[in-house]
Amino acid sequence: MFDFNLIYRIYDMPSWKLALAISGGFVLFYWVGCLLIRPFLRLFVRSRSGTNDLVGYVLSCFCVFYGLLLGLIAVAAYQNFGEVEKNVSKEAVALRALYQDVNGYPHPIDQDLCWLLRDYTLYVIKYAWPLQKKGIIPDGGRVRVTAFHEKLLAFEPQTKGQEILHAETLRQFNVFFEARRMRLHSVTTGIPAVMWYVVLIGALINIAIVWMFDMRFLTHVLLGGLLVFFLGAMIFLIAAMDNPLRGEVSVSSEAFELVYKNMLEESNLELED
Amino acid sequence: MTKNENAVTSELTRRDCLKRGTSAFALASMRTLAPLVFAGCADLIPSSERNAVKVGLLHSQTGQSAMSEMSLRDIELMAIEEINAGGGILGTQIEPVAEDGGSRATSVFPKKAKKLLSENKVAVVFGGGTTASRKAILPVFEESNGLLFYPAPYEGNESSKNIVYTGSTPNQQILPAIDWLLSVAGGSRKQIYLIGSDSVSSRTTNLIVKKYLQDKSMPVAGETYIPFRQQNWGILQDIEKAAPDAILSTINGESNESLYHLLAAVENTADQIPVIAMSVGEDELRHLSSSRIKGLYSSRSYFQSVDTTANKEFIGRFQQEHGYDRVTDDSIEAAYSSVYLWKAAVEKSGSFDVDKVREAFRSGITFDGPSGELKIDPKTQHTFKRFRLGRVGKKQQFDIVHQSAENIAPDPYPQSVFPGWSCDWTNGGVTKGAEVKIES
Repeated sequence: MFDFNLIYRIYDMPSWKLALAISGGFVLFYWVGCLLIRPFLRLFVRSRSGTNDLVGYVLSCFCVFYGLLLGLIAVAAYQNFGEVEKNVSKEAVALRALYQDVNGYPHPIDQDLCWLLRDYTLYVIKYAWPLQKKGIIPDGGRVRVTAFHEKLLAFEPQTKGQEILHAETLRQFNVFFEARRMRLHSVTTGIPAVMWYVVLIGALINIAIVWMFDMRFLTHVLLGGLLVFFLGAMIFLIAAMDNPLRGEVSVSSEAFELVYKNMLEESNLELED
Repeated sequence: MTKNENAVTSELTRRDCLKRGTSAFALASMRTLAPLVFAGCADLIPSSERNAVKVGLLHSQTGQSAMSEMSLRDIELMAIEEINAGGGILGTQIEPVAEDGGSRATSVFPKKAKKLLSENKVAVVFGGGTTASRKAILPVFEESNGLLFYPAPYEGNESSKNIVYTGSTPNQQILPAIDWLLSVAGGSRKQIYLIGSDSVSSRTTNLIVKKYLQDKSMPVAGETYIPFRQQNWGILQDIEKAAPDAILSTINGESNESLYHLLAAVENTADQIPVIAMSVGEDELRHLSSSRIKGLYSSRSYFQSVDTTANKEFIGRFQQEHGYDRVTDDSIEAAYSSVYLWKAAVEKSGSFDVDKVREAFRSGITFDGPSGELKIDPKTQHTFKRFRLGRVGKKQQFDIVHQSAENIAPDPYPQSVFPGWSCDWTNGGVTKGAEVKIES
């Protein structure tokens, strides 16, 4: 039984190799088909006048629908990508705000909470992101968030000011927690498999129609090859943008890296004070 | 050329030439592109299936002990990253698997230890941080023939072929501190009061101290144990009645805050009655008010203030990674060194197999750590360590006031306390003596 999860391993490849593999694969398939399949397909249409006109009409009609499908899927993949990017930014911003809030707690609780948040941020950058790129939902962040939450809940405000700060920090924590959950859900977000089936069947039909053209062999190889190469490039684009946290073309951890850099700078300044 | 051959050549049409040319071009293209395309297939094999060996990190990441044990996990991860960056061990990358003990020694630690050994199939576990958790997971390691590196100082009276103890034993940490107190430099103290947490660890340690003092014909001035999380202590009167000239504390965790609060209330100064703490390092100092711990002594093998280039570089790397206000302490240094000691043993044995790695310990594995050279004792699987006495100075750090001239050999079974007990893994393992009852 074919393991469909193997398909996702394409995201472990560098983008240029993936582009070459998909586009090159399509061209190769087309060329091999020119030699082996085309002679049979042409039996249906050869030796009749106006064959190419007929195939041309069918191809034009088909391309309208197929082009629309590809275009819409590409837009959906891009929107998906943008949504995940927005969630990642939201989590990083909430994290930074939370760090700012806990800085106001009395010593040494402030230091403990800051350490725990820094620990979480570093984990996300160094360990969670590479796992997400492989489609694995990282688990190590959960214990770090729990440790922070435990410490936060153990704090008992002694003054009115501390009460207000604590309430605000808990609210901020919830914002952060929500964004974090959304990021984790995004790890497996992607275009449904059924849409991929339609895209691939459409690509096959497209190639089959091109094979039916009555042209010189060399013209077939060159013109059809170009068309199919671009078809492969489009499919590569959708595949690369799909699953926004996987592969080389994915949402980066840059937002967290920036937050962590600021956290480290602040820790240095506090030490100097 | 014969006539027939000429005929065949002349029968080749333009179409045939094109076909052959195209075929040749296609083959040539495939040959050129194949290495590029198939080179990408290497990326299709997940890293976990490539050359990597798993190691377990088992510390409390949540709960009461989270703050102190998270640093152990962090430093072990740092050591693993350093090793991986240098090409791994025996050309193999190390893949850490971290598990959370949840500060629940008996209920969670053994389950997580089992998971690491049986499900994750780790080659070694760097774990534990308290005596309770170590004792809870020890049977799991012995049953599964796993290997555990335990980094915290402990009370002795234990030895297992499945554990490498990289923390100090009492004869490396506490008895030299007593010697210092009795010396002129320490004020020639004669009345030592023992105070500790109500735990096996404290009671065993204090038993060793009492026997040690008895051998010198010096009874202890008094002895008190504080139950965990008890807020109101009625020990001041007892201490005043005993009139000690030094206090030896084996109190753990947050209870230290209450102790120093009390001592500050009676305006005790370090010069009048010095307090030597066994469980207060740089990490614990953060939680203690600087005005209450002025002059407090701590007995350890490593302090952040150890003035060596290796230590400065070690601290620099740790702080650059985790923040400039993070501190290193005795257990953190031991945890870091543990990873490198295991690496040295694996390289010596040429294998990740537990039995072969253990065999390598018999040849005396060494590592130049931040605090100096460390060596695994082939007989006890404990570590040769230096004794250092620190006094709280500026910026919540310890100034080293005394240190042993060289590393002290570990002795998990001091004969004055555990007569007949010994340990030699090069020759038969643990020899049992008379049963010693530790009150609890």
